[in-house]
Amino acid sequence: MAGWQERWQRSQAEVMQRDMLPAWYATRERRRVLAAAAVFALALGWVNAVVAWVMGPTQTQRWIVLTLLVVMMVVYLPAVTLMNVATRGVTALAERQLDERQRGERLRAVALSHRTTTVILALLAVVFLVNGMAQGRGHTVSGSAMLHLFLALALTHFVLPLIVSCWRLPDPPPDDDD
Amino acid sequence: MSAEEVYNRIPMLRAERGISRKDLATALGVHYQTVGYLERGEYSPSLYLALRIAEYFEVPMEVVFSLKPFPRLGSEVK
Repeated sequence: MAGWQERWQRSQAEVMQRDMLPAWYATRERRRVLAAAAVFALALGWVNAVVAWVMGPTQTQRWIVLTLLVVMMVVYLPAVTLMNVATRGVTALAERQLDERQRGERLRAVALSHRTTTVILALLAVVFLVNGMAQGRGHTVSGSAMLHLFLALALTHFVLPLIVSCWRLPDPPPDDDD
Repeated sequence: MSAEEVYNRIPMLRAERGISRKDLATALGVHYQTVGYLERGEYSPSLYLALRIAEYFEVPMEVVFSLKPFPRLGSEVK
């Protein structure tokens, strides 16, 4: 088990050092476009949760949710892959595979993301409270809405440090200066 | 600009000794981009890393790092 984990972490570290499609993250503007694309994908996840909540479990709702989910994945997967390569795995690799600068950058990204998710959780609490007060005691939220809400929250929690890190990343020094 | 700016002579020492950025990074056990950020003054090293850099170049720490900009070569010659 430990050997498998070791091999996986090593191969992950190697992949992060490869210059895959470097033009996509060569400049700060392009890295910020990638970060914005990931935020857009996350936003679609939240829209999904709202649609599931407002429309309830209907056929139309299922089609809207499925379409949004497909669009979200089409944007999310390439954006996250490229952001991981751009940041050289600062938020993805094991801590012992990072140097002191990278560990510091990871800490800052996680701290900023933590603050953001705290605000999101507070807003959600307010939304639930206001909705509960408006609808009365007997009101329930569908399981589908709760599932999409959980997915959106989990994905935001998972990927926000990477987005923050990619957004903040300064232009790296040239690879070969000899 | 950071208020805690630390100036260094890593590019000069590296050029003088013909060491590439990647070689220095490997010797210090850091990512090669970290050496680049150090050289550009965009990252200030920990005391441990600063000591290791000085040890690598076999010079006292104050030869590599300073809190004030290093004088330009020849500027002290009248």
